Amino acid sequence: MKRLRQLLSMAILALTLSAPAFAGEGGRTFLPSIPAAKGEQCVEDTADMRRNHMKYLQHHRDEAMHQGIRTEKHSLKACLECHAPVEGNMAAGGKEAEGHFCVNCHVYAGVTLDCFECHATKPETTAQFHPLVSPATAALKAADRTDSAELLNRLVGVTENKTGVAHE
Amino acid sequence: MSEHKQPDLARREFLGRGAVAAAAGMALAPGVMLYGVAHAKPADQPASSKVRWGMLVDTTKCSNGCNACVDACNKEHGLGNEQHSRPEQRTQYIRKVELRHKFTGATHSLPVMCQHCEKPPCVDVCPTGASFKRADGIVLVDRHICIGCRYCMMACPYKARSFVHEALTDQRPHTPRGKGCVESCTMCVHRVDEGREPACVEACAADGSHAIIFGDLNDPNSEIAQRVKTYASSEIRADLGLNTGVRYQGI
Repeated sequence: MKRLRQLLSMAILALTLSAPAFAGEGGRTFLPSIPAAKGEQCVEDTADMRRNHMKYLQHHRDEAMHQGIRTEKHSLKACLECHAPVEGNMAAGGKEAEGHFCVNCHVYAGVTLDCFECHATKPETTAQFHPLVSPATAALKAADRTDSAELLNRLVGVTENKTGVAHE
Repeated sequence: MSEHKQPDLARREFLGRGAVAAAAGMALAPGVMLYGVAHAKPADQPASSKVRWGMLVDTTKCSNGCNACVDACNKEHGLGNEQHSRPEQRTQYIRKVELRHKFTGATHSLPVMCQHCEKPPCVDVCPTGASFKRADGIVLVDRHICIGCRYCMMACPYKARSFVHEALTDQRPHTPRGKGCVESCTMCVHRVDEGREPACVEACAADGSHAIIFGDLNDPNSEIAQRVKTYASSEIRADLGLNTGVRYQGI
């Protein structure tokens, strides 16, 4: 009986000590770090976007590419204008890609993301953008794009993980 | 996505009417004509087959050694960021070609880019449908579908296409580019859809040469259509019967 009480108290102690490890934002689950977006509201509900963003993007991409329908809603460029990597995060020594909304979540979910092998990883502010087409870019400072190589490496790392070649 | 299929008819009608009124050339006074310049289509409407975008290059105004159009193109599309490729492998959307007539010795300098053929050989040979012609005559590569076989590069009589041999970074948002795909002049389709001129045309005008003009060949009131109607112009390799969208004057 004494031994049982001892075991119980040890178990309680162990639980108490380990509690801080679980006490992150996600409790027992590791969650991806998701940088805050610029806008108030996404173009669709969050739940809908989580499930269907790839469908929206693909639908928009085909229409934009083949028919020239370049609406803002559901365009990858518009996504990145709100979900642009935060400047502060980007500058954090050597961990530039950490602040990227798309990459963080895809790495977490273990889903290979091909978009950024070709597409720019963040918006740019130049006269190239018509003010009516992309008002959000006006709010962004022209930042150097040194992070994209890091990002690509990170994405390639994900690909290799999936095929069992290497581990990150 | 159902609301995508429901066009806002009132808005569309309004924009349509506005565009028609704006596109028509207006006679200000007898003999004074205001040419219709390139107008943006509404962003939510597809490119129209009533339009045929084209360019006219006046080779008499294009000077030997001037590279303004090439530089502007490289800047616009973020070209030249290959690290490992040899110079001849690097992407070029537009290049300057010097011509010399063997008998007369006459020399011409002209920019050569994708000629945006009406019957493009690159589209004929593409096994996946990645190489395609838009309704308004602009020939493009859909890199989402391109498998990098390079048949189109073989088929193109103008050597207009390039292949990306290495992983790229720092692309421009409006020109996604990546390893394993063929690419070529897009006639700055992202600008055209906004109602702006291609970068090379803009740079040539800014440089004071005004050798390239851009416009709708199908619109009889556009400057390009008027010029093509008034002056003799030709296609490169007209014998192939491709009916190119890019025409040359003075060669």
